[in-house]
Amino acid sequence: MNILNLHFLLAVVFGIIIFLHITKKNFGAALSYGLQSLMIAVILFNSFFETGNVSLLFIALLIFIVKVIIAPVFFIKLIQKHELTFSVSTYLNTPLTLIIIAILTFAAHSQKFAPLTGIVPANQALLSLALASIFLSLFLVINRKGALSQIIGILSLENSIVAFTIFAGLEQSPMLQLGIIFNIFIWLVIARVFISMIYKHFGSLDITTMNNLKD
Amino acid sequence: MEIIFIITTLIITALLNILIKRRFVIEFFSIIASSVALFESIVVALKVSASGVYSPFVFFSVDSLGAIVMLIIACIGFIATIYSIQYLRQETAKGIIGFTRVRQYFVLLNIFLAAMFLAVTANSPIFAWISIEATTLSTAFLISFYNKPSAIEAAWKYLIINSIGLLLGFLGTLLYSTSVSSLGENGFVSWQSLMANVAHLDPLIAKIAFIFVLIGYGTKVGFAPMHTWLPDAHSKAPAPISALLSGVLLNVALVVLLRFKIITDAVVDQHFTQNLLIAFGLFSIAIATFIILNQKNYKRLLAYSSIENMGIIALGFGFGGLGILGAIMHMIYHSLVKSVLFLSAGTIFLKYSSTKISKIGGALAILPMTGIFFIIGFLVITGAPPFGIFFSKILIVSEGIKTYPIVSVLALFLMAIVFIGFFKHVSAMFFSEKSKDIKIGENSVWLIIPPAILLVIIIILSFYIPPFLSRLINDAVSHY
Repeated sequence: MNILNLHFLLAVVFGIIIFLHITKKNFGAALSYGLQSLMIAVILFNSFFETGNVSLLFIALLIFIVKVIIAPVFFIKLIQKHELTFSVSTYLNTPLTLIIIAILTFAAHSQKFAPLTGIVPANQALLSLALASIFLSLFLVINRKGALSQIIGILSLENSIVAFTIFAGLEQSPMLQLGIIFNIFIWLVIARVFISMIYKHFGSLDITTMNNLKD
Repeated sequence: MEIIFIITTLIITALLNILIKRRFVIEFFSIIASSVALFESIVVALKVSASGVYSPFVFFSVDSLGAIVMLIIACIGFIATIYSIQYLRQETAKGIIGFTRVRQYFVLLNIFLAAMFLAVTANSPIFAWISIEATTLSTAFLISFYNKPSAIEAAWKYLIINSIGLLLGFLGTLLYSTSVSSLGENGFVSWQSLMANVAHLDPLIAKIAFIFVLIGYGTKVGFAPMHTWLPDAHSKAPAPISALLSGVLLNVALVVLLRFKIITDAVVDQHFTQNLLIAFGLFSIAIATFIILNQKNYKRLLAYSSIENMGIIALGFGFGGLGILGAIMHMIYHSLVKSVLFLSAGTIFLKYSSTKISKIGGALAILPMTGIFFIIGFLVITGAPPFGIFFSKILIVSEGIKTYPIVSVLALFLMAIVFIGFFKHVSAMFFSEKSKDIKIGENSVWLIIPPAILLVIIIILSFYIPPFLSRLINDAVSHY
C-alpha cells in the first residue's frame, strides 16, 4: 500500500476523533470507534502483506474481532439497554473544543515533537498525525462528561498509540501483542460492567453527578 | 522455577475459588497459596542475594530491588490474606457482605498478588506494563467491593485515571524500544537488551520517553498531581486491600519506573531524571501535608500519608548517593508500617462502623491492642526515633542537604507538619472520651496477630538487617 493510502487510513482515524469530540449521539460514537479500529486493523493487514509476517495477520484478525466487532456490539447493547441515545455534554463548548483541537494538532506537527515524529524520517507526516491523534484522544477523555464517552476516548487513545507504534516501527513480539489485546478485552468487559453500575446507582452516565467523595 | 510456581499457584487458587462453594476451603486455599508465595519469594531473595540477578527463564529476571519488592509483596500478601479471613467473617456476621462477595474477594486477591509478582519479575518492559495494567483491572472490583455509590465513584476514578496514565506509560515504554527495534530479537525487548543497546537511544527520545513513563507509572505510584484517585481508592477498599494498595502496589509501580530511570541515566545527564523525581517528590509531600493537617477521615489520612511517603522515597532516589539507601530502607519500612496502620484501621472500622475521625472516641480504651498498634504505627511512619523510618529520613535529608539544601529543609519542615497533623488526629481518636455505645474489647485475636507480626518485623528491622537483606539493599543501591 502506498504512503497516500496509509495517510488516508490514518486521516480517517484522526477524523473520527474529531467526530467523537462533537457528536451528541452515543450510537454514532460507538459505530465510529468500530470504524476507527477497522482502519487500524487494515494498517496492520498492510504490514502483513508488506512483510509476510504471519503473526501480524493473526494480530490484525484479533484486533478486528475485539475492537471492530466485540467492542461496538458491547457499546450498542449498553446504549439500547439503558436507552442512552444522547451522550452527556462536554466541559468546553464546541467552538472552544475546536480551537483546542486545532492547537493540539498544530503542536503535534511542530518542531518541538520532531524527535518523536522523526523516529522514521520517511513516515514523519504519518507520525505527526498519529501523535495529533494521541493528543486529541487524551483531550477527548478530559473534555467529555459522559462515562461511555470516556471509555471510547481511552480506547481511541489506545488505537492512536498503536498507529504511532506501527509507523515508528516499534511493534512488539506477537506474544506480547496478544497480552496487550487480552488486556484491552478484559478492560472493555470491566468498563462495561462499571458503566452499568454507574447507571444503576446514579441514574445517569454523567460523571459530574458523582460527587460522593470529598477530602 | 520458583517464580512460575508462585504465579501458577496464585492463579490456580483464584480459579479454584471460582468453583468452590465452601467458604472454609476458599480461605484455606488462599492461605496455602500466599504461604507458598512467601516461602518461594524467600528462596528467590536468597538466590538473588547470592548471585546478583536471578533469571531462570528468558521471560523472568529478578534483580536486587526486584527481590526486595518480591519479599514485600509476599510478606504483606500473606499477612493480608490471614487478616482478610477474620475481617470478612466479621463483615458477614454484621450482614455487610455475603458468600458471593467473599468468593469474589479471594479470587481477585489472588489475581492481584499474581499480577504484582509478574510486574516485578517480568524481564520485558511491555510484559511489566501488561502486569501493572492487570493490577488495575483486578483491584477495580475490590475498590467497588461494597457496591456503594462512593465506592463505585472511587473505582471509576481509579480505572479511568490509571488507564490514561498507563497508556501514556505504554507509549513511553515503546519509545525506549527505538534503540533495539532494528536489531531483531524476534520483537522481544528485555530490560537487559534495552540497557545493552542504550548507545542507540536518541537522548531527546530518552527524555521524552522518561517523561511519559514518569507520568504514566507515576500515576500508579501516586505522585502529585496525578494522585487524585489514590485517597478515594485506598479509603473505599476493604482494609486488607488498602494495605496491599498502599503498602505494596505503589512500590511495584515505582520499581518499574526506576528501571527506566537507569536506562535514561545511561543516555542523558542523570540530573534530568533526578530533578524530575525531586520535583514530583517534593510536590507530593507538600500536597499530602496540607491535606493531612485537615483530614476528617482516618483511612484517607493514611492514603495521603502514602502519597507523602512515596514523595520522600522519590526524593531519596532523586538525591542519589546515601539518599538511595535511605529510599530503599524507607520503601521497606513504609510498606510494613502502612500495612499495620491500614489493618488496625480495619479493626477500628469494624468496631465503630465509621471512618470519620470525629466518630472515633477513646479507641485506646475500647481497642487496647489495636490502639497501641496504631499509635506505634503513627510514631514509626512519622519518623520518630528509634524506629527505622527515622534513620531512612535522616539518610535522605543528609544526602539532600549537600546538593539540594532548600529542597531538603523544605521537605524536613513539611515532615514536621505531617507529624503535628497526624498527632492531632491520633490524639482525637485514641485519647478522647470513649464512645458510650461501643462495647469495650477486641473483636478477635485474628485481627490482632497479623498487624502484630508486621510490627515485630518493623522493630527487628529497625535495629537489625539480616545479612541476605543487607546484601540485597547494598546491591540495589549500587545499581539504582
